[in-house]
Amino acid sequence: MLTLKLALRTLARRKGRMALIGALVAFGTFLVVFGSTFASSAKAASKAAIIDHFTGDFILYSQASKDLPSPFAFNTPLPLIKDVEAVEKALGGMAQVEAYAPYAQNYALIQVERGGKSFDLPFIFYAVDPDSYERVFGGAGRSQTGFFGRAPGASAPEAPVQGIMISSYQNDQYRKNFGFSLDTGEKVTLLGVTEGGVNAFPSRLVGIFQPEHFSSVFDYINFMDARTFASVYDYSGVQSLPSSFDSGLAASSGGDDAIFALASDPALRTLDVSKLKSEALSGATMIAVRLKDHSSVDSAMASIAATPSLGVKAARWDAASGFYAQIASGLQAFIYLATALVFLVVALIFMNTLVINVTERTAEIGTMRAIGSDKSFVRGLFLAEALVLNLAAALVGMAFAAVAIALAGSGGIMLPELVSQFLIGGGSLPLRPSLGPFVLALALVAFVSVLATLYPVRVATSITPLKAMSER
Amino acid sequence: MPVVELEGVKKNYMLGQTKVEALRGINLEIEKGDFLAIAGPSGAGKSTMLNLFGCIDLPTEGSVRIDGTEVASLSDKELTRYRREKIGFIFQSFNLIPVLNVYENIEFPLLLKRDLSRAERSRLVTRLVEEVGLGDRLKNKPYELSGGQRQRVAIARALVTRPLIVLADEPTANLDSQTGLRIVELMRRINEEEKTTFIFSTHDQHIMREARRVVSILDGLVVGDGKAA
Repeated sequence: MLTLKLALRTLARRKGRMALIGALVAFGTFLVVFGSTFASSAKAASKAAIIDHFTGDFILYSQASKDLPSPFAFNTPLPLIKDVEAVEKALGGMAQVEAYAPYAQNYALIQVERGGKSFDLPFIFYAVDPDSYERVFGGAGRSQTGFFGRAPGASAPEAPVQGIMISSYQNDQYRKNFGFSLDTGEKVTLLGVTEGGVNAFPSRLVGIFQPEHFSSVFDYINFMDARTFASVYDYSGVQSLPSSFDSGLAASSGGDDAIFALASDPALRTLDVSKLKSEALSGATMIAVRLKDHSSVDSAMASIAATPSLGVKAARWDAASGFYAQIASGLQAFIYLATALVFLVVALIFMNTLVINVTERTAEIGTMRAIGSDKSFVRGLFLAEALVLNLAAALVGMAFAAVAIALAGSGGIMLPELVSQFLIGGGSLPLRPSLGPFVLALALVAFVSVLATLYPVRVATSITPLKAMSER
Repeated sequence: MPVVELEGVKKNYMLGQTKVEALRGINLEIEKGDFLAIAGPSGAGKSTMLNLFGCIDLPTEGSVRIDGTEVASLSDKELTRYRREKIGFIFQSFNLIPVLNVYENIEFPLLLKRDLSRAERSRLVTRLVEEVGLGDRLKNKPYELSGGQRQRVAIARALVTRPLIVLADEPTANLDSQTGLRIVELMRRINEEEKTTFIFSTHDQHIMREARRVVSILDGLVVGDGKAA
């Protein structure tokens, strides 16, 4: 009580100097609270945006792949997922799963004729099943024709709409580079470059879209429906042959004679090719999985890992989104670093001020020591002064931060367009207030107070009672 | 038994590269209840002697015993406690704590002892405040008091723990002669009433006359010991 009384009155006596320190601490606290809230909100919004638009909660990809999947990589195609249907069936049986969407990235050429001349327009695209893609990612953005004929919120058209959709930016690029743009409904020929040559497939442009999020990405990415994709890249074949035929083939691997012997194999003799069904393979290299609850991502991924027969492995949203997931973390690190620097400066100024205070109070401290105060009393006195001042200033800083968060909370914070696009896919950043930054700020201020007091206290406790006697 | 015993006490200081012999072999005994002045010119060693009596400095050589305890054998913590319980200090510049008022300054040593109730502390402080004639100044801060009043507060603070010895280093040096005399008279009255040992340093002849015993020192040696002229 005595210590606290002395601390409060000493602070009041040096109010000009201490108010300056208090203002610095309050500013630092404001930065911690507002900065942490901003950073954690940006991180949460970035996560939500990436999950909502690129990856889902995690991406399944072929077990044979040596690379992580990335929705942004178009130059290193992943191996195909062998049995998409089996994976879909497994996902359908998982209670945590809300929706999933098989998709692939690739590039192709759009062949069109203008004025009797043929033009090959390059484009990169996501090959998607429009239904499942819309369930997971909500489509591609604004389009007069909807996402493959699906108006937002409306049910899927009875007849599947097949073809390609391109971004309006892409269309502008065509105009700029080729002198013309494409029109919705226009017939085109798609050229798919495969190992066996170039496949040509007649198709049409079913829509032009304007991305609503991540235009920095989706301006460049177009869409092709999965059936068209399978045709362009020849992802079609026959249903599995009878097991007896497979075993006959396996037995024939001994040499040429054995192959010819297959002719007399009963399995081959009984094979009725006309009864085998042709089926379109998906060509999907990734399956984005969306969960009902984001927090169950690890358990859902563990379930997949426990079923190796599916032939897929899982990459969490942050691993799959690479650079984009790092932006928010980088921003958070920058804010923490800036805050730490501010507090370092505050700590140095505060320490310097306390040392000046100690020097000015040499006689007072010496007197206290002479009349019976031990070193721990002097130590406690300076610590109390530091804590009282800084915690009071921290409360002021927190109050300002709370007001600023409340003011920004309703409409969110407007960010520069470029930052907004890369961080959260565009738009303003809603702030999510939480107790964490306030607790962090208090702990940080307490820590800095103690730290900044160490040296001045050492100077103060080294003052002997002789100083009181020598004071004239 | 003497409350203060000095035996062959020497005290040297280093002043830069120069060795200063502040005390050069002092033998002295001070009895309980004494009212003693240490007299001598500036630099004679008066303050050094008081520092040794007050356990805030240790001799370079020789023995200092306060109330039978060899001071040099005590740790810093023990010396602090010893000062708190046995010794009261009155400083030349009063050395009141600027942020505390009169009442609180006097109460301060009692709060350090931590073994007294608020009521007990109040009783002790109030009695001394009346004794030094500052009953109407309890709420005043030191800067609101005259020099004489501040020294009265310092006297009350030094006495409030009922110490064995009260040390006063030139207690009248910053006061005018009339006020200084009144302060010494006050100290003497308390000495007579409470039987508290008072040791004060001075080079003021008028003040010296109030002492029952005067120890004169010069160049670190005792050159006289007796009643003031």
